[in-house]
Amino acid sequence: MKRKTFIASLALLATLPFVSCSKSESKGKLTIALLPKSKGNQYFVTCEKGARAAATELNADFKFDGPINSDPAKQNEIVENWITDGVDVIVAACENKDSISTALKKAQSAGIKVVTYDADAQPDARSFFCNQATAEAIGEQLMDSAASVTGSEGEFAIITGTLTSANLNEWIKSIKTQQAAKYPNMKLVDIKPCDDQKDKAQQEATNLLSAYPNLKAIVSVTSLGVPGAAEAVKQAGKSGKVKVVGLGLPSENRAYVKEGVTQAVILWKVEDLGYLAVMAGAAVAKGELIPGAKEFNAGKLGTMQVDGDNIVLGKPFIFTKENIDNFDF
Amino acid sequence: MNKYFRELTVAAALVLLMLALAVFAPHFFQFQPFISRLTSQMPALVAAIGIALVIISRQIDISIGAQFSMCAVIAGVTAASGLPLGVAILAALGAGALMGALNGLLVAYLRLPSIVVTLATMAIWQEALRLWQQGRLLALPAGIKWFGCDQLTGQTIVISITFILLIVAAWAMKNLAAGRFIYATGTDAEAARLAGIDPQRTTFGVFVLMGILAGLGAVLNLVQSPQIQPNCGDGLELKAIAAAVVGGVAISGGRGTLWGVLLGMLLLANVNPALTHFHQPPYWEKAIQGLVILIAVMADGLRSRKNQP
Amino acid sequence: MLARHEVVLVLVILVEVLLFQALGRNFLVGRNVSNIFRHSVEIGLLAVAMTPVILTGGIDLSVGSMMGLCAVLFGMMVNAFGLDPWLAASITIAIGAFGGGINAVLITRLKLPPLIVTLGTFSFFRGLAEALTKGAESYSNFPASFLALGNSDIAGLPAQVWVFVVVAAAIWVLVHHTTVGRSFRAIGFAPEGARYAGIPVARNTSLAYIIAGAVAGLAAVILVSRLGEARANAGIGYELLAITAVVLGGVSIFGGSGNVSGTLLGWVALAILNNGLTRISDYRIMDQPVASVARELSGMLTGLLLLAALAIGAATKSLAVRRARLQSLSKSPSNPINP
Repeated sequence: MKRKTFIASLALLATLPFVSCSKSESKGKLTIALLPKSKGNQYFVTCEKGARAAATELNADFKFDGPINSDPAKQNEIVENWITDGVDVIVAACENKDSISTALKKAQSAGIKVVTYDADAQPDARSFFCNQATAEAIGEQLMDSAASVTGSEGEFAIITGTLTSANLNEWIKSIKTQQAAKYPNMKLVDIKPCDDQKDKAQQEATNLLSAYPNLKAIVSVTSLGVPGAAEAVKQAGKSGKVKVVGLGLPSENRAYVKEGVTQAVILWKVEDLGYLAVMAGAAVAKGELIPGAKEFNAGKLGTMQVDGDNIVLGKPFIFTKENIDNFDF
Repeated sequence: MNKYFRELTVAAALVLLMLALAVFAPHFFQFQPFISRLTSQMPALVAAIGIALVIISRQIDISIGAQFSMCAVIAGVTAASGLPLGVAILAALGAGALMGALNGLLVAYLRLPSIVVTLATMAIWQEALRLWQQGRLLALPAGIKWFGCDQLTGQTIVISITFILLIVAAWAMKNLAAGRFIYATGTDAEAARLAGIDPQRTTFGVFVLMGILAGLGAVLNLVQSPQIQPNCGDGLELKAIAAAVVGGVAISGGRGTLWGVLLGMLLLANVNPALTHFHQPPYWEKAIQGLVILIAVMADGLRSRKNQP
Repeated sequence: MLARHEVVLVLVILVEVLLFQALGRNFLVGRNVSNIFRHSVEIGLLAVAMTPVILTGGIDLSVGSMMGLCAVLFGMMVNAFGLDPWLAASITIAIGAFGGGINAVLITRLKLPPLIVTLGTFSFFRGLAEALTKGAESYSNFPASFLALGNSDIAGLPAQVWVFVVVAAAIWVLVHHTTVGRSFRAIGFAPEGARYAGIPVARNTSLAYIIAGAVAGLAAVILVSRLGEARANAGIGYELLAITAVVLGGVSIFGGSGNVSGTLLGWVALAILNNGLTRISDYRIMDQPVASVARELSGMLTGLLLLAALAIGAATKSLAVRRARLQSLSKSPSNPINP
């Protein structure tokens, strides 16, 4: 009985690949799908708000899905599911550059337009890359901020998200380049990952403070590292003596910035990045944005410059004590 | 002497590490960073105490990370809604007790295997929390940090609570009947029953206690910073189980001391700080911890082999 | 009792299929069905390889980390040393077997509990992978012929599914039709009894762990081929998913009972659940389309399914025991309890 049931069910399942039901399509409307690096990260949740607003403006259908842990296969699987759904545009932030490119290329050969944001894929896996700022600009800004608050001399350490993150590593490289070029009296002493955990960032910063007694600044390239580092500096009684700067959300760092623990929080208008990426993706799908274009119309952002295959949102924005209350994300 | 050989070897390893730090990186022992570091290790230690009891009673609980996160968020939401800190603490402990009771019910009374039950409840709590909170950092009202006291007092409170818990638990395991019941149930549940002990009630109680300790750990973590990250308990079960195992708690049940757990936790938790202070790259941490666990486990195996006829 | 569990699973699968086809879009299209299996081959491999281990009453928590280590070593061999990918794949499988051998020695020679040993190797293998790549490096640029393994179809089914079918069939034959394989259940049921019956317990148990390691190596190669990238974080969390499939399939976690077909059904049920929820975009839960929270929902449902499977298994077992006891009581001639 058992074996017969089993074989029967296997036979049934084996017929499934050959069964095909017609896909339902919504004619005329674009379907845009947004992929974050991680759904649980407030930064990407904020991007999604802007992206959704753009989709609404364009009267397009909007899909949003992302991984919830660090399994590298998850982003690929989500993209492949969207290929089945027959979406028109995929807008992706890439966690594992090479593996996601495999899936994005498949999407492109299925006729789906691909645009990346925040973290790029391989250049031939997408039409355009919407960068919040160039990696160089981000790294330079971080380094400049660190230098300006330390008088351009002293030891500093970096807190990063994970050691494997390609775009974080690019920003770190650019920090090092800027330091070598303009601030020879500053020295990078350590780089510690916090696994995107605020509490771990706090512990790492505590250790950095005691392991490097001459530390003058902590720079965080990940948003969860800034409040963690700031709390560590505060608890060590070194507010103002060891400066904290980093990429972070104003809402998560407001208190520290106002208290003077964190000197500068650098970011960009995160919602605008999501908005821009969706606008670009739709423009590519509609044929309004083609390779070689120098600019395109990005809705309420106006005319955006196109530099080769990169679209840059603008320069990083620095949130300080003076302006941080004006922002709500 | 032979009875505590295990705990003494871990203590020796810890002492060696501390000596190396004293010689090559004396800044490790500066007062404020040392206390801050110790305070941040207390929540995991509380969880490790709980998991040690679970393991001694011959069960396992891999859902404690999810319980920790859930209790932290419940406490945070309670506090953020304006209720006093005491209510938030009770909410956390209560939530932990309930989650523990669910595990206990399934394992003790329905006799389901604990590894799979806690695997299932871990998935349920973890995903439910993600649905609910979606990664937002939760801001806490001002009176929560350090229990409303200044930093040093707060740190002293956290460390004291943990050590008092450790001392009381260690004493209870040795002297209270309930403690002996846990050892007995873990050694041989059938024999325990014949001796008049109710192994089901004991096992149920251990899981409830584990839940309460997960909640306590969450509270001790909560008071150390002004914001909570909803997935703050990620990876806790591994840390706690590793600390217990390295500290001599036997997975086959019936053996282990809480002092060993303390030593195991201190040893493993200081691998990363040691790497930082020796100015070494951080990607060695997991390999070193894995090696420590394997060495501890192998030492156990070799010793029991020697003792076998 | 075993047959009943599998019948229930088949029913669960049928319900899932009907439900997702009714509520979702593009569920039973060829591409999606292909994806269902293609995305879950690695976990399926780990699950069937874990079955002999669990049958012996043991467990292997290190298979996911072994995947990470094997992926990294494979990438190194092809990228850094320029080896032919198929040669490198064979070496990788051998490395996996060796890793399984480490577990086996610690468990059988030193008589250490499998949970703890594999917890240590879980940490250690992943740690090695991270140390070797300094956490950051990854390997890509694999030749197209190799990438075809993970991304192309053979005779209508994804290529790696054929590999999986071969491996699953081999393990099924091993467990159910060879003396070595049949000893697994005996060892799990009563290790001392098995020893007295002349079964080479240490040797056979070791084989189970070595197979698990080797298959983890194979799964790593397939994953790298599917993604086109080899990185230290490959396989994170897969061991728990594999164990879930095995237990769902009716294999007792204590060892001694269960079969490979149960594991396969459990795996299929989970694979369909994980995919099917992403197809439902017309219905909302907590103010979001189901498809957007598919991952969280499938995690919770998997947990609930697991508890249900356990509870049903325990209930049927205790019913059967009670029935057997009643039968034997009523048959015995002089019954002190029920004269």
